[in-house]
Amino acid sequence: MKQLAFSFDVNRCTGCMACVVSCLDQNDLPGGAVSFRHVTKLEQGTFPSAKISFMSLSCQHCGDAPCLMVCPTGAISKRDEDGVVVVDRNLCVGCYSCVLACPFGAPQFEYGTMTKCDFCHARIDSGMVPACVSVCPTHALGFGPIEELTKATKEKASVTILSSLLTAGSR
Amino acid sequence: MNNKPALSPEDIRVGKVPLEGSGIEIRKTICDICNPQSHCGIDAYVKDGVVIKVAGTKENLHSAGTLCSKGAASRQYIYNEDRVRTPLMRRGKRGSDDFEPISWDRALEIISSRLIKIKSETGPESVLFYAGYPKWMRPLLKRMAHSFGSPNYMSESSVCSIAQKLGQRLTYGVASGAQPPKAKCLMVWSKNPFYSNTAVARKLTKVIEKGVKIIEVGPLTSHLSKHAHIHLRIRPGTSGALALGLANVIINEGLYDRDFVEKWTEGFDAYRAYVMEFPPSKASEITGVPVDLIEKAARLYATSKPAGLMTGSNPTVHHTNGITNHRLLTALIGLTGNFDIPGGNYVKFPGYLYASNGLVTRQSEFSQSRPWDEMAPRVSQDTFPVWCKMEPEAQAMHIPFQIQSGKPYPIRAMVAFGLNYRMWPGSDFMQKSLKMLDFLVDVELFMTDSAKLADIILPACSSFERSELKFYSSPYVIWTQPVIEPLWESRPDNEIIVDLARRIAPDDSLLGSGHEACIDWMLEPTGLTLAELKKYPGGYPLKDVPQPPYKKYEDGGFKTPSGKMEFTSRILEEFGMDPLPRYVEPKLSPISTPEIYKDYPLILTTGARLPMFVHSRTFRIPWLKGLRPDPMVDINPKDAKERGLSLGDPVSLFTPRGAIQVKANPTELVPPGVVNMFHAYPEADVNTLIEPDYLDPISGFPGFKALLCQVKKLSK
Repeated sequence: MKQLAFSFDVNRCTGCMACVVSCLDQNDLPGGAVSFRHVTKLEQGTFPSAKISFMSLSCQHCGDAPCLMVCPTGAISKRDEDGVVVVDRNLCVGCYSCVLACPFGAPQFEYGTMTKCDFCHARIDSGMVPACVSVCPTHALGFGPIEELTKATKEKASVTILSSLLTAGSR
Repeated sequence: MNNKPALSPEDIRVGKVPLEGSGIEIRKTICDICNPQSHCGIDAYVKDGVVIKVAGTKENLHSAGTLCSKGAASRQYIYNEDRVRTPLMRRGKRGSDDFEPISWDRALEIISSRLIKIKSETGPESVLFYAGYPKWMRPLLKRMAHSFGSPNYMSESSVCSIAQKLGQRLTYGVASGAQPPKAKCLMVWSKNPFYSNTAVARKLTKVIEKGVKIIEVGPLTSHLSKHAHIHLRIRPGTSGALALGLANVIINEGLYDRDFVEKWTEGFDAYRAYVMEFPPSKASEITGVPVDLIEKAARLYATSKPAGLMTGSNPTVHHTNGITNHRLLTALIGLTGNFDIPGGNYVKFPGYLYASNGLVTRQSEFSQSRPWDEMAPRVSQDTFPVWCKMEPEAQAMHIPFQIQSGKPYPIRAMVAFGLNYRMWPGSDFMQKSLKMLDFLVDVELFMTDSAKLADIILPACSSFERSELKFYSSPYVIWTQPVIEPLWESRPDNEIIVDLARRIAPDDSLLGSGHEACIDWMLEPTGLTLAELKKYPGGYPLKDVPQPPYKKYEDGGFKTPSGKMEFTSRILEEFGMDPLPRYVEPKLSPISTPEIYKDYPLILTTGARLPMFVHSRTFRIPWLKGLRPDPMVDINPKDAKERGLSLGDPVSLFTPRGAIQVKANPTELVPPGVVNMFHAYPEADVNTLIEPDYLDPISGFPGFKALLCQVKKLSK
């Protein structure tokens, strides 16, 4: 089974929050508390060596999704074709079990039932890109089958290690 | 995608997928919420005449399909409930928000008869023509002002990008810009394009990943800081002292470009003698930057050729010593031989509305429909003569002073587009001054606090509802076409100008012939026509447009009085000012005013970009306001701790002039001793804390980025 996932490059994320707003626009959400994607800031160290980094996070569409396992009505399911975790709001009874189970704070509640990132699956099925990924000015956000994403990470890491080994060797 | 199940109609509707039969059509426009250096391409998803979603336009060479948070929020901007819907006439007291709807005809008739009457009584110069945001109507507005007979066209650029260009022009005759991809070292001096320009953000990301050496200069931490090889965190307002310290190392270590300096510069001896007074130890003492970092940065910048120097549009010149600072720091470009060379600081031809792509238009000729000597002196002519010599508009910071004094002639009326009085330092003083006018017209998208001061408010269209000519600094031009009908009774600014011009400047046949005729006239030298551009609703990629050569000064010299790069400015000398850029402290600083510093021990810097706001323009957008609901002052955790402050605590931020109540935001964004406050909040306007005359003496730019304040905890 294919598993789609988001990729995120912390070195590229500037905290601009275009992803957050593009998601609100795509999904007609009110914003504020009800938002499928959140950007958080982490500050490390103190002056003069402080660093500020950002993380953009939404539903991770987990392989072994805890929300799905605890849902008493079967409202949450994983799509066979791409592993995207979707919710059928007609079946949701608003019990918040998924909120308790999700380590990422992904489930949101609007009009009493759960809603969350659906990976813009209708766009993906039409060969398009998720709204958040499409607008990201520095391409910090990406998406794809998990095997391809990890392969790309592996290659990038190998090149970094290799170049530092060569630099170290040349000294 | 072959194994995908067929999408259900519900999936298509909910997912807003623009498939055939979905009823969704993608139409191309641009976002003009921020400045003309950006203006990302927009794919508007339109269904039944309504925009239901926006995305970035992939084929737009500038934004390449990306958007920032503001552009992504376009729908809440264009459909905002605060939009002005009809022309309005004031019924109640000025500023009372009591208006009645009137027809366009009646509104234009009232405006023209009032303006013509004022002109006959006190001269056309008594009427000001002001352009705020957006900027697209500026050429037509300036022309209307002059055709009416008034020299007083002015704009928001009085606090935006003009001063940094002026600072460079005093030295080089022209302004130059860094070319990030080609530079081996990039010195980024107080600029955060990650929150202001998607294209530059992407370019800098590439530069970072290529391993180009980056020197960042500026008090605040930005996304760039963690990628910078050296970050020089100066005390706000001390750029000039740092530049002198860098020059001291560069000259003493023989790292400057002797050939260029000998052949192409004037005043080097005086400059060098002055630079010798600023060894790194002294620069360090003034700026707070350690000596070794100053030395390292100087060597890195001077020995990595080509090196680019990139400044923001205004942080280095939003100081009471801004022009001098900016002259000092941009002098490093010539000193190191990086002026107008590949990968250094390149000089482009002026294009159209602040964006250059190689095409040369007749914008200046079009706008200056009457020569200056056939009109009265401009507002600010006596106060900022250098500005008035070098810039084709008045310095708007002087408006409130002349309204109040009536000298040298009375100002009685103003026709404004996108006016925001909170842009002025001492904004309450500007507000009070506007109330003294006999007649104020504001053309606006939204019912703003400034619009409420007007006698007549005219509803403007957003960029989604009209056509405009847009040049990008990438080889790309677009004549946008409306993606939706004008909302309510709103009209495009330029059509409003043409209609008004027909009444108040009937002799101007070109302006009277309409917006499109004016654009075609300006485009004439480019060989492009609107008829041609209209065939490309998504934009027109320019092919084979010749770019200006490098080292243009080799053919005819620099465009300065001496024909050389001037370390000492002949223009300033002509006006009786010191030709040598001598560093002075900000008017309010720990060093210049120790007696004030005693009670106001924090340096206040204002106006740095937040990602979700651009000035006051997006406060009213719920999606964006929700990302940072409260006005907050950024304060270093150390200073916060000393005051017992935690995140969200109510505090008073105050200066000798006034106080605002905001929330505390302890953050390493600011260094100890500095606090940062975003501007223009109606409920906490930091500009009320700044004196109206806290201005640079040469450019008239306000010292927004360095003054003194104190922060005190308030009980909850």
